[in-house]
Amino acid sequence: MEETNKQVPVTVLTGFLGAGKTTLLNRILTEQHGKKYAVIVNEFGEQGIDNDLVVDADEEVFEMNNGCICCTVRGDLIRILSGLMKRADKLDAIIVETTGLADPAPVAQTFFVDQDVADRTKLDAIVTVADAVHLSTQLTDHHEAEEQIAFADVVLLNKIDLVDESGLEVVKERIKKINPFAKIINTTKCGVSLNEILNLDAFSLKRVLDVEPDFLTSDHDHEHDDDVTSLSFVSDTPLDMEKFQDWFSKLLQTKGQDILRTKGILDFIGESDRYVFQGVHMLMDASPMGKWPEGKERSSRLVFIGRNLESMNLKEGFENCKSA
Amino acid sequence: MKADTSQFPELDKTKFEQRGTEFKLGIPVTNAVTVGNSIVVGFGDGTVRIFTSGKSSEPIKAHKGIVLCMSKDGDNILTGGDDGRFLKISLDGKISEIGNFGTRWVDHVTANNGSLVCSSGNIVYLWSPNHKEPKLFEHNSTIGGIAFDAKGRRLAVSRYGGVTLWKKDYSNKWNSSELNWKGSHNKVIFSPDGKYLVTSMQENQLHFWRLKDKIDSAMSGYGAKIKSFAFVDDSKYLATSGAKEAVCWPFDGDGPVGREPICLPYVGNKLVTFVEPFPNENAILTGLSDGSVFLSEIEKASNTIIIRSFTEFEVSAIAVTKDCSHLLIGDMGGNILWTSIWDEEKK
Repeated sequence: MEETNKQVPVTVLTGFLGAGKTTLLNRILTEQHGKKYAVIVNEFGEQGIDNDLVVDADEEVFEMNNGCICCTVRGDLIRILSGLMKRADKLDAIIVETTGLADPAPVAQTFFVDQDVADRTKLDAIVTVADAVHLSTQLTDHHEAEEQIAFADVVLLNKIDLVDESGLEVVKERIKKINPFAKIINTTKCGVSLNEILNLDAFSLKRVLDVEPDFLTSDHDHEHDDDVTSLSFVSDTPLDMEKFQDWFSKLLQTKGQDILRTKGILDFIGESDRYVFQGVHMLMDASPMGKWPEGKERSSRLVFIGRNLESMNLKEGFENCKSA
Repeated sequence: MKADTSQFPELDKTKFEQRGTEFKLGIPVTNAVTVGNSIVVGFGDGTVRIFTSGKSSEPIKAHKGIVLCMSKDGDNILTGGDDGRFLKISLDGKISEIGNFGTRWVDHVTANNGSLVCSSGNIVYLWSPNHKEPKLFEHNSTIGGIAFDAKGRRLAVSRYGGVTLWKKDYSNKWNSSELNWKGSHNKVIFSPDGKYLVTSMQENQLHFWRLKDKIDSAMSGYGAKIKSFAFVDDSKYLATSGAKEAVCWPFDGDGPVGREPICLPYVGNKLVTFVEPFPNENAILTGLSDGSVFLSEIEKASNTIIIRSFTEFEVSAIAVTKDCSHLLIGDMGGNILWTSIWDEEKK
């Protein structure tokens, strides 16, 4: 296809205060990458050094007037992304920095809700920079830190030179418990190759097929009820499409505030195609994704990341969707 | 009319395309504004071009990145860009900088009787004639649009949660009042008779207020965001984009409440992306997402003619010269059609 029809990938950069986001941004802006990036920042004093474009933004979270309480979007992003798409020169990628205490959900939801943004750009991945030394405390003290891990496709575990090996393992376990499908990259001073964080296509439905979450989440030893955790379910018995849609849509409608992210591959009885979906709170992207591969066993896999998952009777609900 | 048939017309080209000049510039057209019998066009590479009959149009480098917004100021043009600059450009191409906001974009510009206004972030800046320093109007969120009424005594500023209406009293002091409606409001316009205020919203709908009694209502049912809307024939209709038809709401009498809009259909079933009133007529020029442009009489849809055939790029600008002799069409693919409206014979 022609370049003009391509959606520009947008990488969202989150991370708690002091984790190293600015270091990473500076690296992106100073590295000789030969690409044209636009970086949308909050009060960043620097100009692009290469040929990158720095755009100042205010994090403005808007409620959509559509009766859905968790449907919030970033108004400033809609404005800036729509503006950037009028540029004569094509951008290779757009990087959105969020402030330390930001909830990544409104950013992600913007790409589901605004048609102009969805037509011309695509959410590529959420990259969270985490401080290996302080993450555990931050996760306990601030729900925003939990959300940033929960939404991450990639966690840059930074400052690993400042913790010992056992300390590092503890932090990693904590991350995996919140988010079993985030890729964890160990770094010092955010030393990571840009192609490990840009152009990952993590939000495409195709990538959901790669989801192989660690099934380490069956231990229910979390400390607080409002901790973010994850639960995964697998079934070799095909599901009933109608039952599943009933259960799942009701679940997202009533518990969508607490369910942060969902992903799944579904095997419906009587359907030759695999069904794939992924969601952010109440918003979903779903599609048949071609035939099941020959010779491979068909099974349904479902992952939830959220709060109070234990209270949602997810296992029971999922079991009830099995065909006869 | 013989001129059209005396030679074999180029396949699929309208008579306007055959008669006019087409430019394939490859740079998205962001705006087109009429200044007298010239049309000034803004582009996604920061340049503007001035189209005047009988003259060539050279690019004038105004902004570093994108010409985000444009407005007429007497015989000049105001522009705002993503380089944070607020500029005044004369028809002979002379540029003067009115304001500079650095990495903050200048999102909206307008003017009335020598007062120059722009918005950047959540602040509106107003330069009164002969004042070096602007007056600042601060708002609670980023500004979605600004508009003066015809007399320049009221300035509407749309924002998250509604519109702030600034009124100048007779001692030239500005006082504000709020028109609230949940949601994020973008472009705002007054009806030419000053009776109504209309905004487009982040949701696929418009909202209007009748100013004498603050009665307000939504106009919904659109399939897409309404990026372009304008009053036609003084204030008789509000023509709107955002659907596969040009939706024209009646604003005469008691306004649109309880009344049906007139919907003008077009061949091809494409989304209407731009509407421009045809001066002094009850007619509109309608641009579609495939680049085609039609001229229609609102009350007589059968009187629709095609002005430009498709280009595959959404129409992002249409303007007609003040003397109605020429029109200009621009799209997101950087294609421009500049053509005379009437046959030489008819003239």
